[in-house]
Amino acid sequence: MTLGRAASARYAAFLGTLAIGLATIPLWAPRFWIYIATQALIFAIFAMSLDLLLGYAGLPSLGHAAFFGVGAYACALLALRQVDGLFPLLLVGAVAAAIVAVPIGALSLRTTGIYFLMLTLAFGQMLWGLAVNWVSLTRGTDGLIGIPRPTLVGLDAFEISLYERGAFFILCLIVAIVTFALLQMLARSPFGKTLEGIRENERRMRALGFPTVRYRFAAFVTAAAVAGIAGALAAMSNGYATPDLLYWTVSGLALVAVVVGGARSLIGPVLGAFVVLFAQLGLSTYLERWELILGAIFIAFVLFVPGGLVGLVRRA
Amino acid sequence: MDVLNLAHGSFYMVGAYIAYSVVVATNSFWLALLVAPVLLALLGAALEVVFFRRLYRHGHLAQVLLTFGFTLVFVDLIRSQFGPTTRSIAPPPGLGGAVELFGATFSAYSLFILGVAIGVGALLLLGWRFLRVGAVLRAGVEDKEMAGLLGINLPTVFTLTFAFGAGLAGLAGVVAAPEFAIYPGMDASVLILALVVVVVGGLGSIEGAIVGSALIGLGYVIGTSLFPQFAIGLIFAVMAAVLIVRPSGLLGRRS
Amino acid sequence: MDLSAVGLTVRFGALAALNRVDLEVAAGERRAVIGPNGAGKTTLLNVIAGEHRPTEGSVRLGGRDATPLPPWRRARLGLGRTFQRSTLFSQLTVADNIALAVRARNRSGWRFWPGSEDGLNQEVSRRLEAGGIEHLARRPAGRLGHGERRILEVELALAASPSALLLDEPMAGLSGDERQKTLERLRSLPKEVTVVIVEHDIDAVFALAERITVLDHGVKIADGTPTEVRANARVQEVYLGGL
Ligand SMILES: Nc1ncnc2c1ncn2[C@@H]1O[C@H](COP(=O)(O)OP(=O)(O)O)[C@@H](O)[C@H]1O
Ligand SMILES: [Mg+2]
Repeated sequence: MTLGRAASARYAAFLGTLAIGLATIPLWAPRFWIYIATQALIFAIFAMSLDLLLGYAGLPSLGHAAFFGVGAYACALLALRQVDGLFPLLLVGAVAAAIVAVPIGALSLRTTGIYFLMLTLAFGQMLWGLAVNWVSLTRGTDGLIGIPRPTLVGLDAFEISLYERGAFFILCLIVAIVTFALLQMLARSPFGKTLEGIRENERRMRALGFPTVRYRFAAFVTAAAVAGIAGALAAMSNGYATPDLLYWTVSGLALVAVVVGGARSLIGPVLGAFVVLFAQLGLSTYLERWELILGAIFIAFVLFVPGGLVGLVRRA
Repeated sequence: MDVLNLAHGSFYMVGAYIAYSVVVATNSFWLALLVAPVLLALLGAALEVVFFRRLYRHGHLAQVLLTFGFTLVFVDLIRSQFGPTTRSIAPPPGLGGAVELFGATFSAYSLFILGVAIGVGALLLLGWRFLRVGAVLRAGVEDKEMAGLLGINLPTVFTLTFAFGAGLAGLAGVVAAPEFAIYPGMDASVLILALVVVVVGGLGSIEGAIVGSALIGLGYVIGTSLFPQFAIGLIFAVMAAVLIVRPSGLLGRRS
Repeated sequence: MDLSAVGLTVRFGALAALNRVDLEVAAGERRAVIGPNGAGKTTLLNVIAGEHRPTEGSVRLGGRDATPLPPWRRARLGLGRTFQRSTLFSQLTVADNIALAVRARNRSGWRFWPGSEDGLNQEVSRRLEAGGIEHLARRPAGRLGHGERRILEVELALAASPSALLLDEPMAGLSGDERQKTLERLRSLPKEVTVVIVEHDIDAVFALAERITVLDHGVKIADGTPTEVRANARVQEVYLGGL
């Protein structure tokens, strides 16, 4: 995306306002809404990682929730074994997800397009099946419960507990902003430009001398690692990790968030994540048949707003 | 057809629930076997005409999102009608017993399923080969104008194919109903298995799908008896192995 | 870079698109490959570039056996190519198209942070100018006219500074003026660059080529200097038709 100077200034102002606006939420919102906003931020990080795949690398994964779940379980397993410290646990989530992504990526990336979609979906469900069936490790459908939130090892001087009102939300906000900045940087780097070229025309990129599969593989593993971080945050936030985190509908919702928000913009998926999460949690609080409504909303969106929210803004 | 329909599993699920309703109301499994595929074919045709038709040119992602929306709608509709609990129906009279064959005992109903599967597979193969449905569809997918010039009415062909696929999914749902549990998540499990089968067999190949299901079925049975917890793992191991050797599936055309 | 193919056979089902074709191109040579449609010219280029594995035979690039190498490795040995059907980055601007090719040569794709790419931008400007397309720099490739697209197709290959270049009908559909420019552009390439050009524009072929190879139905039916090929009765019969 190349913007004119005025447009970039407006964009920066928009980002700043959004960040500050979000940061004030703990000051005025009721607890329940802080909780939902926290979930939305975590989902936003997850959706941004999917945008790296879908928007920039052109890889439509329908199994991305697997890495979200692996990050959550890895974090949970260690936290339950008295491993403490925010950074080590987030790192563990990222590394575990990246490790799992290596074989899945190596196999799935032999294909592209619809085939890639089917493969990632299948592998994602395999990991979900594993989470359900490997009871000795994961406790099956009951999941791992009672995961403590870590302390900020190294930042003891601040005397902040992540159980305080708003503290965990602010943590998620910081992680989301850092993720956004890093992914934005990646997208504008030579690596990002190369991914863009591969998405546009892989055949030509190969003819020019780029080992395209390696680039896509790198994007796949990176996206998985970011999803793992989001998963670790989810485990800390909820205090539990269940197979539901890996279920394919979570991948589907993330895909919806990216497309509803507008792919290849990073900020679009953040907005999309908020829309999806508020729609999901909001509807489910007040309506019994919320999935039906949600599904109908998605259908309408696909039919009538193919460019996503960001597309609407760009056109306006 | 080059369309990825995530709601295909939903058709299967709806088929099973129709069977359940018909059996509860009339106590006739055979009626269900007749009604469900027809209803689902009609449903499929309607969805194709109203929704999917607009999306062919928008590519796979739009299809995925649209059909994903439908899976949410279907599963919720089913849940609102039948609740979240697992249902079951008895096999039709005469197929409830066990049969002795080659010194082993089989339930008569599983033999019935096998028979239906072989019958449908054979019919599909014959249709594919001799009616050249495959050739028409492929031509339609690859070159819409050319197919039009040849006097093929593509929209109708696509609608019919879609309806036929939905009907078959419904038939599978009915046939499966007495053997497997009927519950609101059955759409996803069958969808994934079907995807694995297609990936293993090769996209766009009926023969491939048949070979694929045989292989995966075998893998599943062996897996269940050896290490029940990880039967699903063995299926995916088979898939991974096939992919390593032949990325486009056993009988798929190389792209 | 010199390149050679020995006993190349490529079968698509029952059809032999290439049948025991040998090709020997010296470093810096200008070679044309001609023949009627369906003769196997594109297939030959695809096999040399690594897009198709030959059913039989081998390919050597710069004295090295390249038969098992994927396309990107061959490109790194210094092989560049254009496609018969324009293969561009249609959503990117012309300048960004060229930038990708320059990055390919610099192998700078593995840098994960943005940063000043002044050197790159300067080189892109230089190359746009050399190709006479600087006025199109900010236009997305997908919105170019046919002739402009064919020219970018060639510039894209040149921007990676290949030492051997395969061109698949670079002049097809160009206006007389555009043909002339493209011809000049190709003639002005450094002497050490090897060029293999597939082209139906016979004047351009004779203006450019030092040697000509003629294919028909996957078989090499002639190979020699332009004068020899022009005099070859078989070539006259199947292709040149009395020129
Ligand atoms: N991927 C392919 N699959 C099947 N047949 C092909 C393929 N590519 C080319 N052919 C066939 O091989 C023959 C040679 O094609 P090609 O090399 O494109 O000829 P030319 O470039 O000389 O016009 C043609 O008959 C063509 O139909
Ligand atoms: Mg050709």
